[in-house]
Amino acid sequence: MSKENRLSFGKNPLAQILVFVVVLVLLQVLAMNGIISAAFVYAVGNTLIYAIIAIGFCLLLGYSGLASLGTAGFIGIGAYIGFYIIQEFGMPFILALIITVAVALVIGSLVGFISLRIEGIYLAILTLGLAEIIRNLLMVIKATIKIDINNVKLFGITISDRGGYFLILAVFAVLMLVTSHLINSPTGRAMVAMKNSTSAAQAMGISLMKYRLMAFVIATIYAAIGGLLYMMYVRTMTTSSSLLLTLTTSLNILGAVIIGGAKSLWGTTLGAFIIYGIQSMFLSKIPFFVKHPAFITMITGVLIIIVVMFFPGGIAQIFSNIGMKLKAKKLAAAAPAGGKEEA
Amino acid sequence: MFAVFLSTMCGTLLSICITAIAAFAVTLIFRTSTTTNFAQGSIAALGCYVTAHLFNKSGVPVWIGVIPGVLVGIAVGLFVDIVIFRNGKNVTPVGKQIITMGLVSIIFGGLPLIFGNAESTPFEPFYNTVKKGVKPNFIIEAFGGRIVITKHAIICVIITVVVLGVLFFLLKHSKWGLGVRCTASNEFTAELMGINTHVITAVSWGIAGGLGVLAAVMYAGGGTMISPSFMTTVQVNAFLAGILGGFSTFHGPVVGAILIPVGASFVGFLANFPGMAGISRWNMVVVYVAMMIVILIKPQGLLGRKILKKV
Repeated sequence: MSKENRLSFGKNPLAQILVFVVVLVLLQVLAMNGIISAAFVYAVGNTLIYAIIAIGFCLLLGYSGLASLGTAGFIGIGAYIGFYIIQEFGMPFILALIITVAVALVIGSLVGFISLRIEGIYLAILTLGLAEIIRNLLMVIKATIKIDINNVKLFGITISDRGGYFLILAVFAVLMLVTSHLINSPTGRAMVAMKNSTSAAQAMGISLMKYRLMAFVIATIYAAIGGLLYMMYVRTMTTSSSLLLTLTTSLNILGAVIIGGAKSLWGTTLGAFIIYGIQSMFLSKIPFFVKHPAFITMITGVLIIIVVMFFPGGIAQIFSNIGMKLKAKKLAAAAPAGGKEEA
Repeated sequence: MFAVFLSTMCGTLLSICITAIAAFAVTLIFRTSTTTNFAQGSIAALGCYVTAHLFNKSGVPVWIGVIPGVLVGIAVGLFVDIVIFRNGKNVTPVGKQIITMGLVSIIFGGLPLIFGNAESTPFEPFYNTVKKGVKPNFIIEAFGGRIVITKHAIICVIITVVVLGVLFFLLKHSKWGLGVRCTASNEFTAELMGINTHVITAVSWGIAGGLGVLAAVMYAGGGTMISPSFMTTVQVNAFLAGILGGFSTFHGPVVGAILIPVGASFVGFLANFPGMAGISRWNMVVVYVAMMIVILIKPQGLLGRKILKKV
């Protein structure tokens, strides 16, 4: 990678994140002035939570090649910790965040150790079992959790939906930056090596245990933080009846990563917006879809199947294909007829 | 106490049957297509809705109505393999999983559109008519207590034993079974050996779809409320049964499917002892944790063969 390349916008994660954050802040500003509806921006915030979870999962699936279906359980852990720390004990958000990360660390390492013994689809089903354990456990502990809006505080200030939106955006930006640096670091390369061949990676001196543990810990922490943010933002959850902590959510996150492109963080974000955002942000406005909400679910399903059938690299691949074509055109235009013969 | 125990175990007969059939279907697809079919439960629900609709609207008896239901399940299974998997561009196993997940979304969305009100208890009238004439239960007085077995459970056990028996016989002794076992061990080599793997996988998907519907109708027939996601728990248990028993054999998952419901109700039974009253709320947690420990000790499953990895 040349120096110029690294400085250009297309390769600089910080610039990309900054643009993304500015756009989303603008959305909220527009909503404050009544130009676009507050419900739309609220839906954007909600979708961003899933994008955070999906980014963590992207690292796990796309870079480390480990499939997990336990995401929903980890979300539940974050949500319940948030509920107990903030609502029941009246402690500040920061403490909830620290405890969430600590617990996720422990559980992530546990799953990481399991992944050393069991691989592939077996691991996916085992993590599904783990998520079911967590869901049943949480259901027995308390079936419905609800945080009072006055208790949602950051640095002593009560935050509303709007504040929650900015909080989610800030967390997203930080985690996105961390993740994009991580995947371009030796750690990221070690993970890709491990994905391509465990034996070859080990022969190169890469410790399977270290990186698998790391991948699972990161994915678990992101999912738990997502759950915590969900609790701060939506403030209520009924474990026994909602689908949030079931297999559906784990599959949707997996779907978001695959649709977006398993090796692209922005693609994954886009995938999360397709699976969770289209429905809540746009289609819920059109009267036809309000009358038949089931159609939206069907459309998402068809979309998922089409993307997987014809674009194995996800939406990120479609964009990079377009980019390659443009580049090829530019080259063809720049070089006169002689250049073509060479090619 | 022993009578209570037997009665509890008889109560699990139905869920053993359902989980066993679902587990066999999941295994069949896992072995021939190397993917886990997340739509197993949804396809089953779709077929069950068809049967329920015929029963409630046209008065078709369940034992006839189940045939079109199963046919729908077979058709959807064939559609997934022949139309979707076959036409995709180099679809990976994870890609196949995602496709089945997309199918779940389509069926979840489609069911309320086709059948209107999604949640209902379709076979309740069936049970009421049964109750009018005949008693729904067998009651045996033995071991100083009453053992209650529902007639529904007994019918389901007979159906399950016959269906799975025939399938295991076919697996062992028919040409199709030989093809399935070859495809399961190595699809590419099987193709080189002249086995039409396309037909094998398509038939397996069809059978799995049909079996799912059969299980769903049996489950709903027990008086369960049906919804698009009512088979999800069964499906999850079927997957877990698969890794508990070991996916590398066909009988392993069925054994796993027997152990999970039995384990759950055994934990529930422990609540009868003094000081253990609260445990029945935790039964699924206890069973899953126990299962996980077993799998950690024996990653290939209880009856699985150890697979050696070549570098």
